[in-house]
Amino acid sequence: MRIFWVLLFSSSISTAEPVGDVRLAPGDFKGGYDKLDYETDSLSLPARTGIDADLIGNIKSEHLGLPSFSAYQQEAPDASAIALGRKLFFDRRLSRNKTMSCAMCHIPEQGFTSNELKRPIGVEGRNLKRNAPTLLNVVFNRRLFWDARESNLAQQVWSPLLAKNEMNNPSVGHVLEQLHSDEEYFDMFMNTFGETANIMNVGQALAQYQQSLIGGGSRFDQWYFGREKTALNTLEQKGFAVFMGKGACQSCHNIGDSYALFTDHQLHNTGVGFEESMRKDPKSITVQLAPGIQASVDQSLIRSVGEEKENDLGLYEVSLNPMDRWTYRTPSLRNIAVTAPYMHNGEFSSLDEVIQFYNSGGAPNELLSPLIRPLNLTNHEHLALKEFLKSLTSNNLPELVLDGFAAPVGDVL
Amino acid sequence: MFKVKSFLIKLAILPLLAFGIGASADETCMSPYMAKIVGQEDFVYVWTLGKEGLGDEQDKLVTIDVNPASPDYGQVVHTLSVGGRNEAHHSGFSDDRRFLWAGGLDTNKIFIFDVHSDPARPKLHKTVDDFVAKSGGVVGPHTFYALAGRMMITGLSNNKDHGGRTAMVEYSNQGNYIATHWHPTDQDLRGAEKTGKYADGYGYDVRVLPRRNAMFTSSFTGWTNFMMDFGTMLSDGEAMKRFGNTAVMWDLHTRKPKKVFDMPGAPLEIRCAWKPNNNYCFTSTALTSQIWLMYEDAGGEWQAQAVGDIGDPSKIPLPVDISITSDDNGLWVQTFMDGKTRYFDISDPFAPKQVYEKVIGSQVNMISQSWDGKRAYFTSSLLDNWDKKGDQDEQFFKAYTWDGEELNLEFAVDFKAEKLGSAHQMRFGAYGLYGLKRPYEVKSLVADAR
Ligand code: HEC
Ligand code: HEC
Repeated sequence: MRIFWVLLFSSSISTAEPVGDVRLAPGDFKGGYDKLDYETDSLSLPARTGIDADLIGNIKSEHLGLPSFSAYQQEAPDASAIALGRKLFFDRRLSRNKTMSCAMCHIPEQGFTSNELKRPIGVEGRNLKRNAPTLLNVVFNRRLFWDARESNLAQQVWSPLLAKNEMNNPSVGHVLEQLHSDEEYFDMFMNTFGETANIMNVGQALAQYQQSLIGGGSRFDQWYFGREKTALNTLEQKGFAVFMGKGACQSCHNIGDSYALFTDHQLHNTGVGFEESMRKDPKSITVQLAPGIQASVDQSLIRSVGEEKENDLGLYEVSLNPMDRWTYRTPSLRNIAVTAPYMHNGEFSSLDEVIQFYNSGGAPNELLSPLIRPLNLTNHEHLALKEFLKSLTSNNLPELVLDGFAAPVGDVL
Repeated sequence: MFKVKSFLIKLAILPLLAFGIGASADETCMSPYMAKIVGQEDFVYVWTLGKEGLGDEQDKLVTIDVNPASPDYGQVVHTLSVGGRNEAHHSGFSDDRRFLWAGGLDTNKIFIFDVHSDPARPKLHKTVDDFVAKSGGVVGPHTFYALAGRMMITGLSNNKDHGGRTAMVEYSNQGNYIATHWHPTDQDLRGAEKTGKYADGYGYDVRVLPRRNAMFTSSFTGWTNFMMDFGTMLSDGEAMKRFGNTAVMWDLHTRKPKKVFDMPGAPLEIRCAWKPNNNYCFTSTALTSQIWLMYEDAGGEWQAQAVGDIGDPSKIPLPVDISITSDDNGLWVQTFMDGKTRYFDISDPFAPKQVYEKVIGSQVNMISQSWDGKRAYFTSSLLDNWDKKGDQDEQFFKAYTWDGEELNLEFAVDFKAEKLGSAHQMRFGAYGLYGLKRPYEVKSLVADAR
């Protein structure tokens, strides 16, 4: 009996101070994990508290380096719809078995993508074949998905909501009925749209939240568009020169006169997809077992416990035109420092690997874009280019991430 | 039949056997707070994962009669489907052993089964489905470990990033939430000493040594990894960085973490010694294949040390479940990849020696042994998406006797052929525990009287 009382009074949830700043990386940082001298720098989850942002204000404010929002907007911004969309976005009950929300794959502090694996997994751990793109500045994408198969955000939501390997809902009606039967949602839909949840307004609400996730004002923007001479250091400026010149990155990742989206909105074959489909499996791979401890593992062992990765042919899967095999949309490079791993399949875990890939001329194949060729970058140019790419992080990103932290996570009550 | 039933009901209201009465118990890795079984176990409850495309496709509690004296010996006598594939994993009895709590690592549901009313036919007593919301975001209820009047539940993940940072969650025996105890992280060590380089905040198993006021936890990985296809994960360099490398020693009474130990490579099951002067617990690291010892040194300080390898670590045998014998002299270790069980002589806990091994199947995970060590049961499944694929995915329950030299197969249940699913964790049941007589013994008594 005595023990009982001691327990009753001594146990409580730990209350760490909320952090003012925010780390734009996974909370359990694994940098240098391949080295024996790796040290953890792990954040406390109870301390992961947020601050609501004024998302309407964010849309309306000036973002150095971004085009005018209204030229791209998909829904007329509305505070109540944004709040509803945000609640939906973080609600894990929106999946068949109530474990997956949009935010479990598009994680705020991980650049609204998943940094912790190449390709996210969905309901019951099912594999996805592609890397999750960031949702930062997603409104400026003319087409959606790596193969550009979708045209707007409101429609897009039904792909993950219904996909068996994402949120696995059995039908549109099932999702809507869940929302009807929840009092809070019922009221929010009535107040926002003057009607109950339907196939259109669920998408509109989610689109409202996602299109508010915009940000420019990176150090590059301050230097290039704001003409602040010291916003970029000389190495980063050198990297910009490589980006524009010897690297010819800007031929696809466009920079305009008054704004820069770092994309031409086109699809290209860089060879990443070709390589993935056509290369022969290596006999063994190196697996990281613990910090600084690796082992070479036979492919036969991997196969005994692994399923085949689904093939990926890019735009061809939409067009069925053989010329489109392994072509993918040019992604924006804004916030690239926080959205690893890279490419449609998450193949590269670092910017170094990406630059090395381009420097060596991509992965040659009959459909390789003529713009991809060996670059002969010096080590210094490689380093400069990397430093430049790291200067593209939006200055308001901490606010958007903290707002994500403040959003209620929907779980079964 | 009627007579037998009314007899059982009368006996059921007799007081339960209290802790300490009777010298033997069932599994050797149960909570010291728990009422014990005397003698032969009657049933093994197998917490079974539903498999897409097999039988009714959902998780179930499978009851197998394991008493050689029973007419149903070796048979599945009952199954109880709970709905959904929840990633059925571990289970544990309440301290009074009347209820079995079984968790779903994926859906976070906790199924509380009544195993005392009729040990042959467990009933679903209560389902807890708000574990994540109540606990403040803990995902993946793993170990269910009885403390006095309490259930300590370890988590594996969280609802923010589905990574490995997590907490232990304390419930009352009635199934009500009491408290969340977060694992120490660099940002908030919660008063613990970081003895090495790591304080990852990950969790997995929990065990206690009440006489030393000590509680121990180990660390595995978050939802993203334990739900992922195993081969896909091994091929994903980012994912492979997301494993726990720590064990934590806690103050049992205050639930405060005291020391974080470095233990590279995902330390899983913890098994503490039973003898009053053996102040140590074993664990094994899944990825680095080592046996570790946490022990109290001469100065009364707790230390952690790697004391031996399991198989050839470079081949990644993947040690999973371990089980200590009641005399603290032996440790069974299963290695999933080669389907072997290995017996280590641990009479010197600092120098375990493997003295026996046997292939149990194409894959093997859990073991449950009787207190006297004469019977050992094995099951096959590790995690739904980690189990081997195709023909290699044997799913079984196998009952062996152990004579100290050799494991002898008594019977096996093929969980695929029986359309049951993937066999995971086992817990023992017995009539005697609740003052009940075995029905077939009662019947023969009645027959004798006639
Ligand atoms: C299981 C992980 C997962 C979940 C859950 C998920 N997504 Fe995604 N998301 C992805 C992946 C992977 C892609 C890329 C798919 C492709 O290109 O074929 C993607 C693409 C997108 C895109 C396109 C972005 C672009 O730039 O083309 C949007 C928008 C998006 N998701 C929004 C959402 C919303 C809204 C939800 C919730 C309703 C959601 N996602 C749920 C993984 C996920
Ligand atoms: C021919 C057009 C083209 C050129 C030139 C080009 N890229 Fe790309 N870039 C792409 C496409 C298309 C992808 C997506 C490829 C895929 O996923 O298979 C991409 C992807 C990337 C990514 C990964 C983005 C993400 O979110 O995963 C980075 C980083 C990148 N490029 C940087 C560069 C740099 C640096 C250069 C110059 C050295 C460059 N690119 C030149 C078209 C181009």
